[in-house]
This record gives sequence, C-alpha cells and structure tokens, in this order.
Amino acid sequence: MRLTRRQALVGAATSGLGAVGLYELVDRLTSSPATRSQGRLLPEQHLLDGLAVMRDNGVAVVVPPLHHAVITAQVVTGNLRGARLELEETLVDLERRYAPTPAGLGVTVAWGLPYFRRHVPKQAHLHLPVDLRASRTESRTTSALADAMRFPSDPVDTILEANDVAVLLRSDVRAHIEDGERRLFRGSSILHVTSIRRGFVGSDFRSGPSLAKRMAQAAGVDGAELIPDDAQLFLGFTSTQQAALGPRRIANFETLGYVDLGPRGYFLNGTHMHLSHVFEDLASWYQTFDFQERVDTAFKPGLEVKPGVVTVSEGPAEAASAAAVRRGFNRDGRIGHSTSIQSTSRLERDVVADDGTVYKRGTAVPQRADFNTLDNPFAWSTSPERDRMQDPPAAGLHFVVFNPTSDDFRRNRLAMDGVLPDGTRLPFGARDRNQGFNAVLSTSHRQNFLVPPRRHRSFPLAEL
Amino acid sequence: MTPVVLLLLFVLVTGCGSTNAGNAAAEAAARSCPAAWRGGWQALANRIQAPVYCPTWMPDPLDARIGGKYANGESVSRDRSYLVSFIWREPGSGEVHVNLRGYPGRTRIPTCSDLDTDKPVPCFSDPKGSLRGGDIVARVYTANQGADQWHVLYAWRRSGSLYAISEHVSPPYTYARVVRNLNRMLTNLVLVPANS
Repeated sequence: MRLTRRQALVGAATSGLGAVGLYELVDRLTSSPATRSQGRLLPEQHLLDGLAVMRDNGVAVVVPPLHHAVITAQVVTGNLRGARLELEETLVDLERRYAPTPAGLGVTVAWGLPYFRRHVPKQAHLHLPVDLRASRTESRTTSALADAMRFPSDPVDTILEANDVAVLLRSDVRAHIEDGERRLFRGSSILHVTSIRRGFVGSDFRSGPSLAKRMAQAAGVDGAELIPDDAQLFLGFTSTQQAALGPRRIANFETLGYVDLGPRGYFLNGTHMHLSHVFEDLASWYQTFDFQERVDTAFKPGLEVKPGVVTVSEGPAEAASAAAVRRGFNRDGRIGHSTSIQSTSRLERDVVADDGTVYKRGTAVPQRADFNTLDNPFAWSTSPERDRMQDPPAAGLHFVVFNPTSDDFRRNRLAMDGVLPDGTRLPFGARDRNQGFNAVLSTSHRQNFLVPPRRHRSFPLAEL
Repeated sequence: MTPVVLLLLFVLVTGCGSTNAGNAAAEAAARSCPAAWRGGWQALANRIQAPVYCPTWMPDPLDARIGGKYANGESVSRDRSYLVSFIWREPGSGEVHVNLRGYPGRTRIPTCSDLDTDKPVPCFSDPKGSLRGGDIVARVYTANQGADQWHVLYAWRRSGSLYAISEHVSPPYTYARVVRNLNRMLTNLVLVPANS
C-alpha cells in the first residue's frame, strides 16, 4: 500500500487537527497493543509510568509507546490566569480519562523562551533555573533554558523556532492522542496551533518486517526496502536500550546538581526538553554504508557485531570517554555516533543525587523520546512556506530529549560533531562521512523548552 | 528477507509467461546473444580469452550493444577482468544504468578503495541472500563501491571465475523495479565462449 502525502491529508481540518492519514496505517500494521500496567501520576511530567521492558540479543530494551505527536502553539490570550485555569482543567480531565501510561496517554507540556520573555518576563528572571555548570564555563549567569543553536553539522538554513509551547502526546492508542489533541487545542481561545508533528516507534524484534520498515515501504521512501526487518527506527539499530536511557529522575533539574533552582524551587521536578526534526537519507545509509560501516558509524569504529543484529549493548561499562573517542579518531579517522555522545552524556564518575540515589559512572543522563516520522517536515504547519512543507512523505525523526539543561544538550550535540567536552575539536568537515551519522542526517528545525513539574505545567509563573 | 522468500519472489516476478522455473531455464538455455549485440560480446570474450555473459534482455530503454547508443564504456584490466556499462540519462527524468562485470580465473570479491577514505574495502558488500536465475545462483549485494555504488548487484561464480551484473537504484525505477529488472536480466543471460 502506498499513500501520497496528499492522500494522507484528505479530510484534514483546516487546523490540521485530525489529519492523521498515513499514520492510521500504524494500527493496521501492528497487533492490538498489550494492556500495560496502571501508572502513577508522578511529580515529573516528562516521566511516563508503565513502560515495559523486553530483551533482544540479550539486551534489555524499553518498549516506547507506539504513537507520538507533538503539537506546538502560540499563546493568544492576555488573560494568563484565566488561561492557566482553563488549560489545567483540560489536563486534569485528560488524566481522569486516561492512565499516565502507554496504554492511556502521556501528556508533557513544555514552554519555550518566547513564552517566558513575552508573557512572564519578571517572574522568569527570578525563577528560571540557572545552569551552574554553564555559568562557570561561560563566566556569566546562564539560564538552564537557552535559545537553540545551529550545530556545526547543521545545514545553514536549519530553522530555530520560537514557539510558546509544545505538547508531547504519547500512547499505544492513536485515538487517545487524537482525543488529547482535540480537547487541548480544538476551538481553543488561549492556544493557537503552529505545527503538528506525528510519528511512531516500535518493533517486536520477532515477527516479520518491523513497523518502521513497513511504514517506510508504504510511504514509498527511498531505501525503505533495505531497512532491516527488526528495525525499531528507520536507521536500523535499536535506540531504547534500557542502559542507554537516563534512569527515572536523572534528567530532573535538581538531581545532578547542575542547576540552581532559585529562591522558591519553583521548577523542582522539572526538566529541559529539546525538540528537533531530522531528515534521514535512508538510501545513502543503506546503499553507501555496508553493515560494518553502519556499526562503525552508529556505535564505535571496529566494534564487532554479528551481521543482522540490530540491538547492541550500550551499558555503563561500555560507555566511551572523551580520551577513548580521541584515540579512536587518531587510529581510524572516524568517530561513532553513540561513543562520541557518550563522552558527555554519561556520568564521568559516581554521583550521589539530591535524594541520595547513587548514579554509577557511565550512567546515561539524557532521556530520549524520539520517534520515526514520515512528516516532511511536519504533518501540518500554520506557516507552510517558512517551515518548507513538502508533499511527499520523507523518512525522518522527531527528536525529543530531556536533559537537565540546554547546555547539557548542547554539550552532547557538539560531541556528536566531534567537539569533545575538554574543548578538543576533531577536524571534520560539515556532515563528514566519518563523523557518526551526520552524513545522512539533516536537521530542519530546532527549539529548546522547559518542562515544568506537573503542579506548574499550565502557564508557569503566571500565578505569581 | 530469507533466501527462500527471495527465491519464491524471484520465481513469481520472473515468470513472464513461463509456466515454471524449469521452463524458464530451458528457454534461457535456448536463447542466444542477439545478433546485433553478439559481435561486441564475442570480441570481448576473445580479448580476455574467457567466457562472458551477454544479456538478452535489458531494462527499457537500454540495449546491450557494446559501442552502441547506450554504451557507457568497456574496460579490460591487465588481469583480464572487465567492466561493460550501459546508461540512459535524461535531466529531470533520471537514469537507467547497468554494469556487467567478469573476473576470469578468480572468484574472490575484489577489493576497491573507499571513495571517501581510500581504505581498501570489498567492492560488493551487504549480502542479502541468494537467488536462482536459469542455471545461475547469484548472491545479492546492496552496498557496493566504485561504478556500482548506489547499484543493487548480483554476483555469481562459474568455472573458477566471478561475474556480476548491477543496476543503479534511481528514478524512473524504484528499488523493487530494479530488483525485477536484475532478476529478468539474470534469467536471460547467455554465455558467450571465447573463440580459440
């Protein structure tokens, strides 16, 4: 089955809400999701309870929710206190309807700098968390929420967005996401939708071609036929190894001591979210990189992986240091995606967190929530020209990641480009083939957001 | 996809009016190199003093006439290995590009220089199973080097020599269509021995 983007959007409302088209196929290509355990409403919005863990190739793999959507919006009211009550009422209503698990609906409301600057500038000046580590490095007070930047491997025209708010919706049941979208945004007089981004992720690693492969084939994306049958993501390798995802509270502002939470600790239990859209050149990936080169590129040059394996162990003991990445570069002239990022994304030493939890050396800090997409680059945009909306589906990734600060994400992303935490800049050209995945990735949009704790998720600081 | 599934698909897509694979093989055996193309292929076989495979079917719009309107070069190395290439290209429409190779007296996959790093790498890589066309059992490779980069390539061994055909995955043809083209080419290859 092959659908064009135009077919996929038939019936779309002018707001874009309800235009799920192509992604309806996800339900047709997967069996009914297993019922997952009931979940708790945690103080953190970004944590989703009830995630299952399965094993592939002897590696524990977190099973993410099947369907994802991110809706960005602008605040279109001056009555923030009223808007706060209205949004909170809707969110509480959704919580009553759906458990905060993949079987129900995960809702994460994240706020961008434009919101804080335009609507609550005084309160933000006082209460936005300060990144102590970045402030030391830059010798000036640096907010934990900073404007997004273009990285060395980004195209010169990567759009740095300025949305007020982004809402991440996650569920195994597409109807729950659609219901969430409708209740939050349809007819809203407080939030005006600016973009809708959709996608999916999942593989049972067992029965025939995976969802990623079948969706890419259905969309007629170049290179789709060469996606491995077990692939969770379009680029083939599993991404949600349990050991490669930050454990529960590690990305909270307060956990690792990276942040000064300010006089009232307003954003305690909050975190930072980076959102970007990345095009993936699957034909190049599968036709000009052979399996070993894909392993070298995705993980580490020379890593021995049995042909056909998609899930590779990335435990704390296997985490690479900056010195190891540099040595590898000097030997092979290339760096792997995972290992280069691990030089900044994994703990360099054991850390005792604010609550007494000991996080061991090599533990991952970022909590990724990225998902496959066939959006080009979005499912819908209020500014199709600015966002360079295209008709045919395109393989890509909506990259969602929770880090303790904007600077923490920046460090990880720079390491991916060969800029190591000690300042060493490995000599790569832009999107060099030897520089991890960069030769086959192209980032179209970026923005940073702050994810308040659940208690302050609706129009944060507006009540002060 | 398992080799068995590939083989089944192959039989399905290459039926082309044949009632079964046995008949297809018989038809292939009965075929000969088209008269208009035979001269070039015979000359090549004579030049390298080894058999070469003449295609009797080519993807539209190509023909396989060496030196003809779609010829994109014929090269023979000192070790007698050869590359014969055919191409149709139209700006805005795409290209159809087919390579035929032979390595007389050797069966190992040759080594190429990586285009970016110059490091030695196998010229044909990422095997995706085997399939049969006529009396040839070919292995499918999807990540290839040099003139076969971006091509799907089928390679097989015969009497101590390695042979290969490949086609560029490029509009107007999709990956699936290129695979169908290669299957049909493979089934319709004819061996042209060297004249002593």
